Amino acid sequence: MGERIVITGLGSVSALGVGIEPFRSALLAGTAGIRNLEKIDCSGLRVVVGAQVPHFKAVDFLDEALLPYLDRFSQFALIATKEALTDSGLTAGQYENAAAIIGTGCGGKETDGTTYSQLYRDGRSRVHPLTIPKGMPSAAASQVSLQMKIKGPVFSVTSACSSSGHAIAQAALMIRHGLVDVAIAGGTDAPFTCGLLKSWDMLRVLSKDTCRPFSKDRSGMVLGEGAGILVLESERHAKARGAEIYAELAGFGMSSDAGHITDPSVDGAARTIGLCLQDAQLSPADVQYINAHGTATQANDVTETAAINKVFKENAASLAVSSTKSMHGHALGAAGGIELVATVLSVKEGFIPPTVNFTEAGDGCDLDYVPNEVRFGPINAALSNSFAFGGLNAVLAVRAFQ
Amino acid sequence: MSLDIETVVISAIATQKQLDTANIKRESRLQDLGVSSLDAITIVYEVEEAFDVEIPNAELEKLETVGDIVDGIGSLLAGK
Repeated sequence: MGERIVITGLGSVSALGVGIEPFRSALLAGTAGIRNLEKIDCSGLRVVVGAQVPHFKAVDFLDEALLPYLDRFSQFALIATKEALTDSGLTAGQYENAAAIIGTGCGGKETDGTTYSQLYRDGRSRVHPLTIPKGMPSAAASQVSLQMKIKGPVFSVTSACSSSGHAIAQAALMIRHGLVDVAIAGGTDAPFTCGLLKSWDMLRVLSKDTCRPFSKDRSGMVLGEGAGILVLESERHAKARGAEIYAELAGFGMSSDAGHITDPSVDGAARTIGLCLQDAQLSPADVQYINAHGTATQANDVTETAAINKVFKENAASLAVSSTKSMHGHALGAAGGIELVATVLSVKEGFIPPTVNFTEAGDGCDLDYVPNEVRFGPINAALSNSFAFGGLNAVLAVRAFQ
Repeated sequence: MSLDIETVVISAIATQKQLDTANIKRESRLQDLGVSSLDAITIVYEVEEAFDVEIPNAELEKLETVGDIVDGIGSLLAGK
């Protein structure tokens, strides 16, 4: 099986705030970060709500001299990585040869959007020379490497809303097989651009009011943004330096539906959950909590519920399933990272974050969705689901560390 | 006019490299100011925007001092 993998650092930027503390407090209190959109230069926009990082000013967190090189998605990645590395207690020398695998669904779309609007809307002939190095999808990974002096395997992973899950699985594989002792992994996205908001709107999956996963009156997803970054380490390395360990990253499952470019599949989701349990050597009875993909779209919530029932069978009745997207929105390529941070806190501290805005269970939604109120109690093992557009699935398993 | 160009060029370098304009002279060498090739194309972009001229790639490679940029813009403007 190779090296056991543990989680020793957490970093988070989301609609619930910058940093782990506001994130954790909001999960416990069931506070949602979904609000009316902050000012955005976009006419005729039908979307009115979003889960944006509130009143975010990059200069409050990063050196001003760096900002011309950092798209918003790189800013989030860098802030979350710094927090996670500080939290881990690793010294610069200890993470110099680490891997850094950063998922992103969108890349530097704010930079691209600015350049294209100058070209096509304003009729300008010249665009900013930093457009490419700032906007390229791997820019966030490169900036994490550059600013933190991380010199091991560094790259981006992209699989829409499963990008973080695949990035973390990739990092875990590297540790398991002894390629690195330490890996920084997770995801980042900043999709609040006029072009992306309009494009998402045209898919007719965005809510006009709020995110109510698994509820009968659910009205679609609410876009989010941010980054969720974790420090993974081989158990041997973490123990040798006396690190504080949050939990074990027990395993992962990855698969593709090979079905449809937007429709989810019960079979694909169920196979991925099954593969994850198998990899983590967990039986359905061992798992107390699933942090669901739970987007609050009509298609996802019924399909995900059916997939969980298919795998957990009679154990599904005693399983808690919640969607924290009801609080931090759907941060796309960052979602899996942010949600794994929530799952790790849940296992470490023994609480289950609620599905907020819950009204009444929707048709085909028959699980315990932890409606509106946080629940306390020991959790031995939990899963975090990501099921992306294009049928790309990644599920991660977290086990309490003993 | 030439003073204006110099002011704009020095200001663009100062912004890009976070330097005090007083420390940037006409004869300052770009290399000594820590101007990398990525800095140079960004500075040239700002100056191109200010004067609506286009500095050809071949000229860009020849720039060694602040004065080279000022003179280059000056002759491009004179030829307009």
